[in-house]
Amino acid sequence: MSLALNLSHEPITKIPHGKLAMWAFLASELMFFSGFFGGFIVLRNTNYDVFGAGSAHLNWTLALINTFILIGSSLTMALAIHNLEHKKDGAFRLFMGLTILGGFGFLIVKYIEYSSKFADGLFPGQENHTVFYSFYFLMTGFHALHVIAGMIPMAYIFFKGFTKAGYPYPSKVETLGLYWHFVDLMWIFIFPALYLMIPYHVAGAH
Amino acid sequence: MSHDHSNPLPSYMKVFYSLMALTVLTVLAAKQLTFPHEWGTPGDILHVAIGVVIAVIKVIAVMYIFMHLKFDHPMLRFFVYIPVFLFLVFGFALNFLESFTYTH
Repeated sequence: MSLALNLSHEPITKIPHGKLAMWAFLASELMFFSGFFGGFIVLRNTNYDVFGAGSAHLNWTLALINTFILIGSSLTMALAIHNLEHKKDGAFRLFMGLTILGGFGFLIVKYIEYSSKFADGLFPGQENHTVFYSFYFLMTGFHALHVIAGMIPMAYIFFKGFTKAGYPYPSKVETLGLYWHFVDLMWIFIFPALYLMIPYHVAGAH
Repeated sequence: MSHDHSNPLPSYMKVFYSLMALTVLTVLAAKQLTFPHEWGTPGDILHVAIGVVIAVIKVIAVMYIFMHLKFDHPMLRFFVYIPVFLFLVFGFALNFLESFTYTH
């Protein structure tokens, strides 16, 4: 029996180290966003009217489109991993490409949404807008940064998939997939919190 | 492969359709129910409760199927349980302190 240390996975649970590290990172990310949500809950309850007025100016239809895009890209990411594990390189490239397109689509819709806010004179870091918009820019801005951060390694893996050897590490793509699903998870909470669970929406502008 | 489910595709599609349907349900619920003019009234609590419950169901589906928590080693679930527990403590503590400040 070999006593050599296997560095590819944790010796007792057999969980790959990459996956373990990603889950630890996601736990810290969960706490990171928890701070936003904790503050959001308290300030929403104490500034009910301010949050209602702010939310009435948000375009929930664009946010809904983005929700569908992210859910779709979560599915295509899961399918990309499945196909790479089964050595179907063509299908892997197709679904990974669709996932990246989903990320781009999300950012384009976000750009449209932000543009209308900027046109109304609402910018991040301004002192004359309400506390609602501080949360809006903080939460959606950090979320968009996470989308961009996920797309960079995805693009690398996607283009690597076109080389002669293809992309040979399904476990790394699975680890990246965990991150991408997490980005989807955060949006699942951000969407109703900012756009729907706020007063005046029934009589709101959009 | 770290998980032993041989063909996860039907599960993936079920989760995908469920997420889409639950998203539509969230929007319909938010648009159909009238918001009260005060925080903490039954109407407000109902709005928040519906939104949170649907979001939690969606998140559990994504974590257990797309992120393979259902198939992977159970220890990984603690990476979710512990931060969620801390968030709940944090959220309750903040809200308690806030309401305590206003009432005392």
